[in-house]
Amino acid sequence: MLKLFLKIGGYLFLILIVLEVLVRIFHLAKDTPKRFIDEAKVEKWIPNQKGIAVTGNRKQNHARYRINNAGFNSYQEYTPTKEQFELALVGDSFIQGFHQDYTHSIGKKIENALPAIKVYEYAYAGYDFADQLHLIHAYKKDFDLIDQTIIYIDFNTDLLRGEYAVIQDRIALQSPLNNMLKKCKLLVYTKSIGVLDPPKNLVAKLINSLNKRPRATHTKIKKVSHQKNNTIVTYLNNFKKLVTTYGFDKKRYSLLLNTNTTPKPFLDYLMANHFKIIDFHQALKNATAPTYLIYDQHWNDYGRTLIANQISKTIIP
Amino acid sequence: MLFNSFAFFVFLPIVFFLHWKVFNKKKQFQNLFLLAASYFFYGLWDWRFLFLIVASTLVDFYIGQHIYKSNSLNQRKKLLWFSIIFNIGILFFFKYYNFFIDSWVSLFHIFGIELKNTWTLKVILPVGISFYTFQTLSYSLDVYHKKITPTTNFISFATFVSFFPQLVAGPIEKASNLLPQITQKRTFNYTKCTEGLKLILWGLFKKVVIADAIAPIVDDIFQNYANYSSSTLLLGIILFSFQIYGDFSGYSDMAIGTAKLFGIELISNFKFPYLSRNISEFWQRWHISLSNWFKEYVYFPLGGSQYGLTKSIRNISIVFLISGFWHGANWTFIVWGSIHALLYIPIFYTKNNRKYSNTIVAQTTLLPSAKETINIITTFSLVSLSWVFFRAQSITEAFGYLKQVFTNFSFEIYQHPSGYRMIDYYLILILFIIYEFRIRKNERAPFNFSPKALRFILYTLIIFCLVLFFDDQTDRSFIYFQF
Repeated sequence: MLKLFLKIGGYLFLILIVLEVLVRIFHLAKDTPKRFIDEAKVEKWIPNQKGIAVTGNRKQNHARYRINNAGFNSYQEYTPTKEQFELALVGDSFIQGFHQDYTHSIGKKIENALPAIKVYEYAYAGYDFADQLHLIHAYKKDFDLIDQTIIYIDFNTDLLRGEYAVIQDRIALQSPLNNMLKKCKLLVYTKSIGVLDPPKNLVAKLINSLNKRPRATHTKIKKVSHQKNNTIVTYLNNFKKLVTTYGFDKKRYSLLLNTNTTPKPFLDYLMANHFKIIDFHQALKNATAPTYLIYDQHWNDYGRTLIANQISKTIIP
Repeated sequence: MLFNSFAFFVFLPIVFFLHWKVFNKKKQFQNLFLLAASYFFYGLWDWRFLFLIVASTLVDFYIGQHIYKSNSLNQRKKLLWFSIIFNIGILFFFKYYNFFIDSWVSLFHIFGIELKNTWTLKVILPVGISFYTFQTLSYSLDVYHKKITPTTNFISFATFVSFFPQLVAGPIEKASNLLPQITQKRTFNYTKCTEGLKLILWGLFKKVVIADAIAPIVDDIFQNYANYSSSTLLLGIILFSFQIYGDFSGYSDMAIGTAKLFGIELISNFKFPYLSRNISEFWQRWHISLSNWFKEYVYFPLGGSQYGLTKSIRNISIVFLISGFWHGANWTFIVWGSIHALLYIPIFYTKNNRKYSNTIVAQTTLLPSAKETINIITTFSLVSLSWVFFRAQSITEAFGYLKQVFTNFSFEIYQHPSGYRMIDYYLILILFIIYEFRIRKNERAPFNFSPKALRFILYTLIIFCLVLFFDDQTDRSFIYFQF
């Protein structure tokens, strides 16, 4: 039996090496730019990096990214002026768009539709509303020169906190161990397509069963709707707190959101307090083809075109 | 626990190691451990249905003993009927009860009588019930017909019934093949283990790279058939043919390979059925264990082909109808069985049903002859068209699909709405067909190549394909689990 195990081990070792080579040859694994925190405590990408972002298996969706001098994914540098009409798009990975070639980003699509304006995309994967308002505040000089700012917000994920602090977990992705692991492209690829999820889930299951977490009771189920209401109140309070802390220029700033996934109390609050909204719900609803990527939760090229069109319609240079 | 799940690849090495290293002293220890592992394997899916397996085991174990001991033919018959009623009874209750109630209500509806359908039950179909009930039933039948001597060791018998590699989807083993292997102490065999591992790898490839990968495409075409032209619908039919083949033969290969790791040889369930030259050959190569079961326990007892043409045709029709119905409680499966009966009878009538019994296509040549190629394509086309009834949710849907195939003539390049890159699937299918043809002479040795370096390249490419086509978003359960 030892012979069998040794042979299997030997074969697996050699096969893994060949697979690593094949993954590199076909560039199946995504490149990840390096991140840092600048002097204004804004987390972003280290400037001037290039690479290929890959989502899904068999490299079915891949796109080039280019991190500019400002530390964001864009085909251009950000040099706001008083003379030129500029639009800033602030958001998370949906706006950042590593899923599409940087020369076809939402910003570029808006520029194509409205040639008179320049669009600067201040977007970074994982940004929430606190990150976004902190960024605008930190780069006040630039944003004062920018004519319009659109902030992409998802009520359910972007209002979990009411004050800004650097998220250490994200920075921990830069740890020496993580950097070393990222060098193994086979690992990066298998992780990205979910091959490693089953072992991770199994370990989590085992840990949970060892901790013997109590089962959900009827009382707990009843509490769910109550908790949901509490969550809306908490998120709304976080929004108010952040707006109070950093300010919100209602003349120049708009919120880009999907009214279909946003709770009514929040929408009512925005309306009552004259926040400008760009709603893309109808645009996605009337889509004639899928708007999301196959292996990813982000918009595909068509979805991004619809978002860009929706924004273009509301911007008057 | 699915063969293609991570849990199984944790479970299998542990069981393998313990079986050969810890419980290897006596055959009783080996069997007791295999039984516990098998119950654990099944219990992970739903432990409540373990009682059905235990009940079926107990009933047939004691019935087997009593049939053997009894000298009275009447008594033996009664015992056999008890086993048949018990096994078919639980199968009927869990699998067919609601179907008969629904059909009964529909029948009255045709005559304008509306019955309130309050008799249907919300029952889950226990995984593998169609397989292990047939296996235990075959044991009682063989004991009754004095083909085998019943075992007096309950643990051995329980292990025979619940042996985890083939518990949930076969191959359906006859007691005369599997039981003697269980009742004797097994010794570790290096060659058998490596053969087993190779079959597991090949089965996994068929399941993940062929069946699971094309499943979303087949789903889209069948769900939206009204919107597609004939070319796309034909593509859907061809892809489903490969999906179901990859799914079920992949499972069978993994089952046979896993059993080999424990020193047990299961019978082959698939022998390249899509290389068949007529429908008769197809049934000698597709789901062989089920075909053998029906032949031995239904066709022969009915008289087989002994009593003239009319009775032979009747018997063939009965076997195909029951075989169709065995697959599922839906009229679609009955129609599917009927189609195969209709395709088989002319071959039987012209005495061509044994024509290709002992040969494979291009037996002594590198490539098939023109005639063989035409025969293969014709057989594949007929089998594939019949799959429409197997895949469709209802008869109406199946006819709707076929009507669209034959009326909406046009050619379009199919694009999956989610944007899957179709060329990948076409390419892998072509390579798969070529490879299957290349290994056609031995279904149990998919990597029988020399030198070693070539085998290493093949293993690497297979694993690379597994990594390339792995998709955590598709339902990865086996199609035949629902039967």
